[in-house]
Amino acid sequence: MGTAFFELRGISKYFAKVIANQDVSFSIQRGEVLALLGENGAGKSTIMKILYGLYKADEGNFFKDGKEIKIASPKEAMELGISMIQQHFSLVPAHTVTENIILGNVRGIIDHKLFREEIKRLAELYGFELNPNDYIRDLAVGVQQKVEILKALYQKTNLLIMDEPTAVLTPQEAENLMGFVRDFTAQGNSVIFITHKLKEVMSVADRIIVMRAGRVYGDIKRAETNELELSKLMIGRDLKWVTKDDRQESLDQEVRLEIQHVTLQEKTGVPALKDISLTLHKGEILGIAGVSGNGQQELCEIVCGAILPTKGRVLLDGEDITERKIRARIDLGIGYVPADRSSDGMIMDMSIAENMLLKSSYDKKWQKRGFIDKKKLNQYALQEIGEYSIKAPSPETIARGLSGGNQQKVVLAREVDNGEKVIVFDQPTRGLDLGAVNHIHQVILQERAKGKSVLLVSTELSEIFALSDRIAILYKGEIQGVFNSAELTTAKIGLLMAGFREGEVSNDAG
Amino acid sequence: MQAKLRDLLITNILAIVLGLVASGLMLLFLGKNPLSAYSVLITSVVRDGYTFADIFVKATPLMFTALAFAFTYKANLYNIGAQGQFYIGAVIAAAGSLLLQNILPGWLVLIITLLLTIVGGGLWGAFIGFVKARYNSNEFLVSMMSTYVALAIMNYLLRTFLIEGKAEYPQTDALAASVWLPRIIPGTRLHIGFVLAVLACVGVWVLLYKTTLGYRIRAVGYNAGAAEMSGINAKKLYILAFFISGALAGVAGFTEVNGVQHMLVQGFNPDLGAAGIGIAILANGNPIGIIFAAILFGALKVGGTIMGQMSGIPSSIIELMQGFVMVFVILSYFVRTWLENNREKRKLQKAVAK
Repeated sequence: MGTAFFELRGISKYFAKVIANQDVSFSIQRGEVLALLGENGAGKSTIMKILYGLYKADEGNFFKDGKEIKIASPKEAMELGISMIQQHFSLVPAHTVTENIILGNVRGIIDHKLFREEIKRLAELYGFELNPNDYIRDLAVGVQQKVEILKALYQKTNLLIMDEPTAVLTPQEAENLMGFVRDFTAQGNSVIFITHKLKEVMSVADRIIVMRAGRVYGDIKRAETNELELSKLMIGRDLKWVTKDDRQESLDQEVRLEIQHVTLQEKTGVPALKDISLTLHKGEILGIAGVSGNGQQELCEIVCGAILPTKGRVLLDGEDITERKIRARIDLGIGYVPADRSSDGMIMDMSIAENMLLKSSYDKKWQKRGFIDKKKLNQYALQEIGEYSIKAPSPETIARGLSGGNQQKVVLAREVDNGEKVIVFDQPTRGLDLGAVNHIHQVILQERAKGKSVLLVSTELSEIFALSDRIAILYKGEIQGVFNSAELTTAKIGLLMAGFREGEVSNDAG
Repeated sequence: MQAKLRDLLITNILAIVLGLVASGLMLLFLGKNPLSAYSVLITSVVRDGYTFADIFVKATPLMFTALAFAFTYKANLYNIGAQGQFYIGAVIAAAGSLLLQNILPGWLVLIITLLLTIVGGGLWGAFIGFVKARYNSNEFLVSMMSTYVALAIMNYLLRTFLIEGKAEYPQTDALAASVWLPRIIPGTRLHIGFVLAVLACVGVWVLLYKTTLGYRIRAVGYNAGAAEMSGINAKKLYILAFFISGALAGVAGFTEVNGVQHMLVQGFNPDLGAAGIGIAILANGNPIGIIFAAILFGALKVGGTIMGQMSGIPSSIIELMQGFVMVFVILSYFVRTWLENNREKRKLQKAVAK
């Protein structure tokens, strides 16, 4: 093995109130794929941002080929051959592929033709199907990611850091990405993969660094470990995973919510939803699978009344509620856990107790002689904090200070109480750590057992399969089919999610 | 908690001192001795009861206009038209008092006039909220321009319907003493409007932090998207917030006309709106903080006028002083955050080392 390509020694980073990284040490060899595995908030992204020069370490040193180096900015990192692809891409939508790739690396008059040729060659070298003249805004997320990778390759990167690269991809796109990683490292380059998905780690990594609470808890070769060991290292305890076996079959077949021929026309003329018809029974979980951005959010918002459909009807217990607005639907018992909690679900600058009040501020039960009954509200918040094991010192804690998982639990606690009949979950566990995911899954199943109807939107297939009674696949605003969950395989659902129709897909496809 | 309070006191006092030092440097450019100027400033405001009480007289309308800005600010809206709403309030107060003073007993006239200024200033403000909600127009611009409309209306009325009996100057007749706001301390100009202003500050604080309406206004201010998604009608709240904001500024017109001027003079107190914004920012939008910030500004105003008379320093230096103090107070917010972050970090590092 010899000297490590890059080495981190004793890195610590303190943010106010949090230890982000503590005494983190590991190395990466040339030609190696290193997976940085850990729950959200374990400090994976922070340590990589330090290596990439975005943050400054409070303690510790870096070495390249045995020599100590200083990295004070991304520019210096790039000069050392380090590139990082952030979770949220940094591309200019109104520019072409070429313009994005050369951004920051050109001066004066730009010879577009020369650059185009160069980028085309580079793309072909790695087998990327890309047109250098395409505008970023017209490209699918998977293709945009390729542009980000090309940008890194263009800068002659030897160490490519990718932060949760498969989060936005279809299974097929993810497979392609893994292919690229193997090619790239075969040429003596190295890749660091930040992820919390065990499966991915097992399929691509050579070595795995497990992080928990800002520290390294394991530095293991892939060949010498298994998913079970990794998950234990990651969360520090055993988890009882929710599986279908834990559940009783749905008994009640009474229809609760009906969506009839709903179409939603966008201002641009493109329908966001096309002739959607779905039925949700009492005590049933209906999973909506699909790559994000295919109309899921619109569907959820139609159910909770935030937007009205252009055509079609929504019925609750047989009553037409199409025209009822959000407040009326809250009163009718429809809860909604939106995908983006920070913009739609909660108010970050308010306390947990105040966030609990968000949807029921008109309700007299929180008022006493015209004023907010703070005592009662705090008691309620305290009870929910206990019930959902939200890690917070008091109901007065400001939501922004909580971790993502705990914020989500606050929203969940509120919506489970609001949604007496129907609860809509839009990506309820996206970006959360395993402990929180497990807890949320249990809550969803408990609510189902109480006879509530659940609409579960998720891009995470394992989640859809683990929880749903029936699964509908959404593609470009259309339902590709509704199946009992036992009828589907990962391969089949993957193809349906990619736009193939049921007739074109058989169960043993892929 | 204690360290936080200590930071708050030290940084604020330091900010005021630095503001004075910076304006002192400006005084040096004028060839004046800043030390003697400041000793005049400080001794003058405490030299007699009348002058000292005037600090609170000056602070009274400032509290209202500062509240007007702060209230909409909590809903993430910008009402920079408090000056216009103040003029509307002043016009209504003068007209109402003159009309009713010979018909009804004084105390009743005062109550009716107060209510009329609340409604008038409120509606004038609500219009801004309405066009924002209905046509998504920029409330910043509309509120700013509405000030000029209010000014024009006042000028027009002062030359026509409201002009004094002699019809000489664009001003009204003096109000009868029966409709003057009662004085709190005899021998000074301090009137009951000051108590009203303090009550308004406390009331706004209660409204914002203790009622569900205030809760919804703050929710919309922090995150209108999440509030809408929770069934809160943000547009309705825009109109309501602007109504309350306009009403608060309107009451400043009432306390100035019935409490201090006892008549309406064209273009009086032209900088109340702007100073109110400064005070609101100084207090970080906190209604209770506004009480203290307004008193500070009142003291600078009273002291500055006397300083100008006594030492030949242009009294406009006071505005410079207000500006410098404001800049340093705003900087102190960042200093406090920085101090607190560092403290937490040290605590953490110490805990790790153990």
